[in-house]
Parts: sequence; C-alpha cells; structure tokens
Amino acid sequence: MSYGLSVFKADGSLGFSTADITWQTVAQFTVAANASVSNTYSEAAGMTIIVQRQLVNVPPTSQEDFVPNVTVSNNSQTISVAPQSGKSSSQCIIHVLAQDS
Amino acid sequence: MAYGFEATNNNGKVIINDTIENLHFLGKASRGSASSGFGTIPNYSGANTALDGRVIHLYTITCTGTPLAFIKPTDYARWHGLIKQSVSSTTWTFEVMISGTSTSNPPVLYCFVNANNAPSSSESYGMQVFKANGSTKTFDSRKQPLAITGGKTALAPPSDPTDSSGTPGTTDGHAWNHATNDHDFRSHTRYNTTSDSSINTSTTMFACSSLAQGVYKRQMEGHKFSETCVNLLIGTFCFNGQHHYSTALWYVMYRQAFRLRAGNFDSGWNGYAAGYAFSSAAEDGGWFGNTNTTYNTGSLPYTPKTINSQNSSYIIADSSRYN
Repeated sequence: MSYGLSVFKADGSLGFSTADITWQTVAQFTVAANASVSNTYSEAAGMTIIVQRQLVNVPPTSQEDFVPNVTVSNNSQTISVAPQSGKSSSQCIIHVLAQDS
Repeated sequence: MAYGFEATNNNGKVIINDTIENLHFLGKASRGSASSGFGTIPNYSGANTALDGRVIHLYTITCTGTPLAFIKPTDYARWHGLIKQSVSSTTWTFEVMISGTSTSNPPVLYCFVNANNAPSSSESYGMQVFKANGSTKTFDSRKQPLAITGGKTALAPPSDPTDSSGTPGTTDGHAWNHATNDHDFRSHTRYNTTSDSSINTSTTMFACSSLAQGVYKRQMEGHKFSETCVNLLIGTFCFNGQHHYSTALWYVMYRQAFRLRAGNFDSGWNGYAAGYAFSSAAEDGGWFGNTNTTYNTGSLPYTPKTINSQNSSYIIADSSRYN
C-alpha cells in the first residue's frame, strides 16, 4: 500500500494494518441475576455499538433462563441492562463493542 | 484530537486509538471432556423417536479479563451454539453444543481479550498504544489484534423449533395406553438465514451467543371404560364398572444454534435435552382393584414455550490469521 499503517509480527508477516476492520471493546462486565445496570462511556459517543450477551452458569434443564434486555442510548454512550418486563433474569456477561460510524 | 494516537482504515474508520481498547488474541481454549446423546428420545422406541442429537464440548482458558469466544467449526454442516460461559478465579469454562452424536470433529474455540488483559509478550519490538493515564494499554501489535471480516444481525430463530407443522400439544380421546408419538421433534429445517457474502466454510469463525431456548411437548391422554355384564332372561346387567386412564408425554428442550454456509448465516435450533413419560392407571372399584403403571425419564424443565427469541449481532473473522 502507498500510505497507511502496517504492523508486523516478529517473523516479518503482517499482523495488522489500516486495511483491516475491527470492533474495539468498550467494556466487559457481569450483571447479576435480576439486576439492572446503566453505564456511560463517553469515549463511545457517536460510534456504532453492539452488545454481546452470554448467559452464565445456566441451569439448562430446570428453569426458565431469561436473558436481560439491553438498550443503547445517549448518542451511543449509555448502555442499560435490565430484566425483560415482568420476568426474572439470569446472570449475564456483557461485552460492549464499538465501531467507528 | 490534541494528543495521542489514532489510526483509521482504508474506509476512514478508526481502528486504533488511545481511548478504546482493541481485542487481542488470547489463545485457543483447551478442549476437555465431551458428552453426547439425544439422537433419539430416551427410553422410547416408537414412531418419531429420532432427534438431531447433540454433543457438549467443554473448553477452558485462563485470563484476568473477560474473553470473547469465537467458534470455528470443523464440520460446517453441523449446528453450533455457545450455551454457557462461567469463571472460577481466572479460569474460564465454555460449553459448546453441536448437533449430531459423534464427538469427532470438535469445533475450535478462539478467544480474544481486551488489550490491557492480553498476556505479556517477550517480543522486543512492535507498537503499543496507551490511554492518557500512561498505563492502560489499548493496542499491542505483538498480541495479534482482532481483525474481522464481517458481521450482521443474527435473526431470531423461528418461534416453533419443531420440524412438524404446528406446535405439539395435548390431545385426549386416544385409546387406553396409546403411546405412539405423531410429532417430529427434530429441528434441522427450522431456521432463519442472514445472507452474508463474507462467510466461507473453510476458515470462518463466528461470535454469537445462544440465547433463545424453548421447551415443547406432545401429550396423549388415553381412556377406556370396562365392566362386567351378565345376560339374563330379563335383560343385561352390568357391574364392577371401571375407568382406565393413560398419559403418554414426549418433550424436548431446545437451545438456539447457528450454522455457517457459504454466503449464509443460519440461526436455528438444536435439541439439548429430551424425555418420555408414561403412566397408566385404573380407578378403584373393579374386581382387581387399582393398578398403576408409570414410567418417567425426566420432568419437563418448564411450561412449553419459546423464550429469549430476539435478533442479536454476530461477528465473523478469519481463523487462519490466528493459527
């Protein structure tokens, strides 16, 4: 390439460059069962956000395991996690990923 | 910005800066034990006993951050789902469910973690980027930063996981002790597809959690009435009347699963657990009194329904960059 940035591994092969695309990680946290959490990340303002949810310690054959809902607001800066309406929610890992819009 | 570092890619999008951490390759999780089963409904051998089968592979990896796991299928024809992730101290355990009953061709789990929790490197050159505090790392070229090849919306799977038309339910009026399942509980034709040209079936790996789950049952109620009758010259007289009741129940619990095809991301289902229960009884009052026959291979996890069915996001990447 004629311009940009390339960073190489020790063996000389290309590791990462400005030809790549990525999702950066804004935060990872665990939300307790039935809890509500709202966090603000000013550095994510205006970015495209996706939130990956992963259930923790699911007792898969004994009860309903409701995953909490996630909303993104405040120009992508605020991530809110709360149980589904009228439901209990299970413990859940939250990955907040951001990509330049 | 007044100071710091920022790199934008060929599309003008920021891919490295000093405020948000990049994900870096942590390693491939170590595969442990595997359990398989549910190729058929347990302890039932009649019609429609076939299920898709499922294998649970356990993986572990150690790190101080919270890893994001990508599943790299070895057999792309099978359905895959990350159904559980837990931690004890700094050891993370993952459960990956795949369709079928063969424990061969297990998927590979590639794990990524934020830059500041990526393991140290002995390499003496490269590029690191830190936040303004000078201690929190956002990028380290030595630790294989995550580069993605695509990602879109993973559609919610169809509400009804079962291959037969219509959801199974409870019906009565069957003959006493009738126990022939008339519903196909397999799920391999039940999925929704997102078209994605960046998916191939040789190196693509994906990150998407299995959140939707469901329980469905088929229940058949049987009945007959018996009595002893005597024909006399003056008429027929019956006595010792007795009702006989039976219940046959089949159930399957499903978890959301995904399948990669060239150019397509399928969001569907795979059976996780199943059971069969049968009971037969005659009420008191007959010459032979009350008799009971019961058989049970598990209880229904919860009232039949689908839960957590909603669209989510998936990310895909090229696993060959991290071998």
